[in-house]
Amino acid sequence: MTSPLRDLVAAVVLLNAVIGLVTYVTLLERKFAARMQSRIGPYRVGPHGLLQPIADALKLMMKEDVVPARSDRWVYNLAPLAFLLPCLLIFATIPFAPGLGLADLNIGVLFFLAVSALEIVGLFMGGWGSNNKYALLSAMRGVNQIISYELPFIFAALVPVVLSGTLRLGGIVEAQRGLWFAAWPVVGQAAFLAYLVAMIAAENRAPFDILEAESELVAGFRVEYSGMKFALIQLGEYAHVLATSYLGALLFLGGWLGPGPAWLGAVWFTGKALVVFLLVTWVRWSFVRIRVDQILAISWKLLLPATLALLLATAGWVAYRGGAGVA
Amino acid sequence: MTLETGAFWGLAAVLLASSLAVVLTRNLFHSVLYLAVAIVATGGVFLLLDAAFLFGVQLLLYAGGVVTIVVFAIMLTERLVGEGIGQTSRYLINGAVVSVAVFVGVLLFVGQAPLPAARRPLGADVTRALGELLLTRYVLAFELLAVLLVTALLGALYLARTDE
Repeated sequence: MTSPLRDLVAAVVLLNAVIGLVTYVTLLERKFAARMQSRIGPYRVGPHGLLQPIADALKLMMKEDVVPARSDRWVYNLAPLAFLLPCLLIFATIPFAPGLGLADLNIGVLFFLAVSALEIVGLFMGGWGSNNKYALLSAMRGVNQIISYELPFIFAALVPVVLSGTLRLGGIVEAQRGLWFAAWPVVGQAAFLAYLVAMIAAENRAPFDILEAESELVAGFRVEYSGMKFALIQLGEYAHVLATSYLGALLFLGGWLGPGPAWLGAVWFTGKALVVFLLVTWVRWSFVRIRVDQILAISWKLLLPATLALLLATAGWVAYRGGAGVA
Repeated sequence: MTLETGAFWGLAAVLLASSLAVVLTRNLFHSVLYLAVAIVATGGVFLLLDAAFLFGVQLLLYAGGVVTIVVFAIMLTERLVGEGIGQTSRYLINGAVVSVAVFVGVLLFVGQAPLPAARRPLGADVTRALGELLLTRYVLAFELLAVLLVTALLGALYLARTDE
């Protein structure tokens, strides 16, 4: 049993590491998108634009904080926090390397899914509290979309759980020592693909970004937010994408497993998570936005039955091979 | 007082306050937000009792699912229809009498059994044990619940169908 003080220090270190990483992930995305469009991207601030995220953060901190006159003040002010907290909390259960993590809970996957579902509360608080039609419409679309894609996401994430026979994230990684789950014939690839699609939808990124839809809804539920509150929402959003990328790398790409000494594990893991992140970013900057009804049809008519069948098939196969923990 | 007792009383206070706020707030939307707080606090109580699995399910189903759907309903009816719907609390006294009576009843019932002085730590994997019990000893209740849910789903579909 570790002492509470040690846990506290570990939590502070992890929190700052996550925030730092998230800040630079935004730069990575901007550079990546720029390259895809034959641009250079941020370049002026620091060498190769390396100080750009710091400059952005400073700018946002110094901006005026505007509160709409007829907003629901408490709800409006608390929404960024309610949005950010779950997004940061989910990092608590991710083991970055054997023994390197805040808490490798034995319900790890469930904890991740449950806490990240709380994000929606902050989202509709922001949409409602702003007293803005665009924000409200966006929040409604968000609720709609997240309800629709939560189930396929959970079913896809449960396939590795069934294969490894444990909900503990560390155990799932260890079960992939022979073969990454993404490399398992048919089942692995199908589940990974479903995971990626559901992830893009759950993160509200293009082509599933009707929530933001800048051409019709200005900027979605965060349209009335400015300064530091806007920064918090943005931080939460990227933290959530990053955490989901980590989860994807852990469930399907073998987490910290890789050649080299043990301490390289965290580096491998972060590298794989960034690969997942870049995959999602690649899709985001390649496709156009699809319509609301198309988004819902993809979820309920295709993704949900497909992931459910996949999960049942996996479970049947595992049972046929003789119980949990085949890998 | 140990850390655990302190956490329990803190959670209990939050739970009571937010539950009261759910029924007493006039603003329907705020009421739902308090409901979310109450649900998370209930999850915290589960967590204190070593029922981590229940904590996860509580958050996933109630905070992530039920609250979201309630909010969806409110948003659809209130702002888009254009008139505010306040929450009215009629029969406050009758309600209070009934809840106090239920509380006393539960208290008397629980009081009959002596509470164990210390909670025994759970040794085995609770999640695995839960799964096994649900699919062996309690399989009938489990399947009946599934039938109930399917019935509810069909009922909802029937009510929501378009008349043609």
